[in-house]
Amino acid sequence: MKVNARFRDMLLWILIAVTLGLAASASLLLFLGKNPIAAYGLLAASVIRDRYTFADIFVKATPLMLTGLAFAFTYKANLYNIGAQGQFYIGAIVATAMSLFLGARLPGPLSLPIVFVATIAAGGLWGSFVGFAKARFKSNEFLISMMSTYVALAAMNYLLRTALIETKHEYPQTNPFTPGLWLPILVNGTRLHAGFILAVLIALLVWLLLFRTPLGYRIRAVGYNADAARLAGIDSGRISIATFFIAGTLAAAAGFTETNGVQHMLVQGFNPNIGAEGIGIAILANANPVGIIFASILIGALKVGGAIMGQRSGIPASIIDIMEGFVMVFVILSSFVRSGLETRRAKRILRSRTK
Amino acid sequence: MDAPFLEIRNVTKLFAKVVANRHVSFSIGSGEVVALLGENGAGKSTIMKILYGLYRADSGEILINGRKQKIDSPKDAMALGISMIQQHFSLVGVHSVAENIILGNVKGIIDRRGCERRIQDLAHTYGFDINPSALVRDLPVGAQQKVEILKALFQNAKLLIMDEPTAVLTPQEAASLMDFVRRYAAAGNSAIFITHKLREVMEVADRIIVMRDGDVVGDVPRAGTDEKRLSTMMIGRELPPLPEEPAVPPRAGEMLRLERVVVRDRHGVVRLKNLSFSILEGEILGIAGVSGNGQQELCEALCGSLSLASGRIVLNGQDLGNLGVRERIQLGIGYVPADRQKDGVVMEMTVAENMMLKSSFDPRWRKGIFLDRVRIAAYAKEKISAYSIRTPGPEAVVKGLSGGNQQKLIVAREMDNGSRLIIFDQPTRGLDLGAIDYVHKAILAQRLMGKCVLLVSTDLSEIFALCDRIAVIYQGVIQGIFLKAELTTERIGLLMAGYPDTPHVNDAFSE
Repeated sequence: MKVNARFRDMLLWILIAVTLGLAASASLLLFLGKNPIAAYGLLAASVIRDRYTFADIFVKATPLMLTGLAFAFTYKANLYNIGAQGQFYIGAIVATAMSLFLGARLPGPLSLPIVFVATIAAGGLWGSFVGFAKARFKSNEFLISMMSTYVALAAMNYLLRTALIETKHEYPQTNPFTPGLWLPILVNGTRLHAGFILAVLIALLVWLLLFRTPLGYRIRAVGYNADAARLAGIDSGRISIATFFIAGTLAAAAGFTETNGVQHMLVQGFNPNIGAEGIGIAILANANPVGIIFASILIGALKVGGAIMGQRSGIPASIIDIMEGFVMVFVILSSFVRSGLETRRAKRILRSRTK
Repeated sequence: MDAPFLEIRNVTKLFAKVVANRHVSFSIGSGEVVALLGENGAGKSTIMKILYGLYRADSGEILINGRKQKIDSPKDAMALGISMIQQHFSLVGVHSVAENIILGNVKGIIDRRGCERRIQDLAHTYGFDINPSALVRDLPVGAQQKVEILKALFQNAKLLIMDEPTAVLTPQEAASLMDFVRRYAAAGNSAIFITHKLREVMEVADRIIVMRDGDVVGDVPRAGTDEKRLSTMMIGRELPPLPEEPAVPPRAGEMLRLERVVVRDRHGVVRLKNLSFSILEGEILGIAGVSGNGQQELCEALCGSLSLASGRIVLNGQDLGNLGVRERIQLGIGYVPADRQKDGVVMEMTVAENMMLKSSFDPRWRKGIFLDRVRIAAYAKEKISAYSIRTPGPEAVVKGLSGGNQQKLIVAREMDNGSRLIIFDQPTRGLDLGAIDYVHKAILAQRLMGKCVLLVSTDLSEIFALCDRIAVIYQGVIQGIFLKAELTTERIGLLMAGYPDTPHVNDAFSE
């Protein structure tokens, strides 16, 4: 009952925050001499215009959800994983290499799970290196994870010029995968693939892991109070390796859903902002795995609508980035406003009782 | 003018969940020393912080010399002659005494020599022996407190508020502080002591204001009351005395032994020097000393979070060697840390979650790969009722519990974890009398169960009340281990201050 009321409050406030974010962006549209009402009408109309576009929201949300989780997961242990982009690339490389290798040798339904497992294992190992450096040398995980992205990027570029390059040796990209290795399409006539369901399932699993298992308990204990955890015999070094391993698997899974679900090949320099956007989504959802599902869908909708709005009305697509920024700022602000109001209400009740 | 120096009228302060002050009114005259007595959470710090401009009252007014004043910041308060010395000093360690005192109180080009001379004069007036050019970090705690006082005097404070000023002092230092307070008041100034130590109150205060649950429940001259009546006012009921010394059970033998234990800190500085002692089954050994003399290191070395540079620790015949915290918990070592909110609980987690903090690896909390939440909640519920922890339930977040109830939670947990040895580091610091009594009884109960207990405390009355034997620690060295009857307050005070234990101890003072 009480939980329901608080949940309703939260939804209401997020709605208000999103509206305010859109209103703030509308003022920018006015500067550009565009009619914001018409622009938003177009945005809304284009998002629900047809099945394909609507489904694309969820296609865009899929990798964002996973990189968002990759940041949120270590954040629960009070560790900052800025390397989701690199973990994503490692996942994409391994998914691609495995897909190209298995494509001609095994039937699809058999090889897809193998590709997936190999991908997340590689991403996990890549990520756990950051945790290991933190545990062993007390290095700063923020910097190490951030710089590891550049190593992963360079490795991807190198492989796309050498071992993985297409048969024509023309562009830095791979051959397309055999259709057996494409993630199944969920709705005909759209790009929506099974990776979306996979991402939602993973988000729910992450929630279970964090809040219902001893490991998740220890991760949160270290995150909230490292001193008390240390005196409780919890080895923060092991926790940092474990959380970065899991974060690595999450971001790498995004690589899998993008290559096997959308691109069906690996192209140089694709999705270069997926890691950074994941951080934003994690913050937007207050690092709650279930919240991340909805936050990434919201941002996915803004992206899809924005792109079409840009094409059709001459409004620069970068206005969408600003809109995303405004929405995030207002959602984060709203959580402060909410706790402030709650305090005020509690005080008022208290006062009426003391009189 | 008949108006008192300070008058507080009908001040009410609300926090989100509690009424901190409810129509609080009292006054303080010039030359008066007032003790503000009350349990933790009674609202005494809150009313003082309002007076000092750190909090803003929801209603009510403050009058200085009969005139209504608005105090919005410590700066306003100081301008009116009100100064407050917080429990945690606000000094800059790498600056000199003089620099700390003039910080924020001088403008333009600093007349360093003039300032130092003024400080020297002030110190001289009150008999403080302080070198204005010494660095604050090199000074012992007692001297740092004097720097804080000088800072207030430098600003011409007419009213000095002191929050638990004797908590960090040896008995001798405390006596000299009391001496200062009397001289300060004799010069026409006023002082307020925030405290819950009854003995101090009776020693120095002219008048005693007692608070309970945000209300002023008593405002009495010292002459008209006694410790027993005050404690009844403070907690609203009479405390049952500690149980009589239980018949000491036959001691089967030694449970814990430390042999020439040496511990260094990160910078290689020796924190514990050749510590050796042993504790028998069913025995309580007290470690008395001024805080910061190696007590924390001793506790952490025992529980395994600090490794030994040399020496060894033997528990129940087993050399603990390099066993980590987790293994030692499994061997039955419980630890109630001094800083409970930092080291003892996870404030953001629930009561139930905190109950399993120390045993998170224990398979009994697991069902398959998941946590057995039903079992954890049942365990927490059992402890909540057994230790009468006041909380809405196992799912309540620990941050919302009072300090005393947080401590009860930790004690309840560590009693279970520590099947052989329980280390209590300052187990009652900052607790109200009811909770202190509860913790004391729990400690005594452990002895009957044949566990051995190490009790670290800076509160001598606690040490004397509970311990079988008392070890005094000073700068990482055990000054001696004594039976309770061998020690007087004076003797232990000198040992705590680092004077060697000789029959001619008084000579050390007369020098």
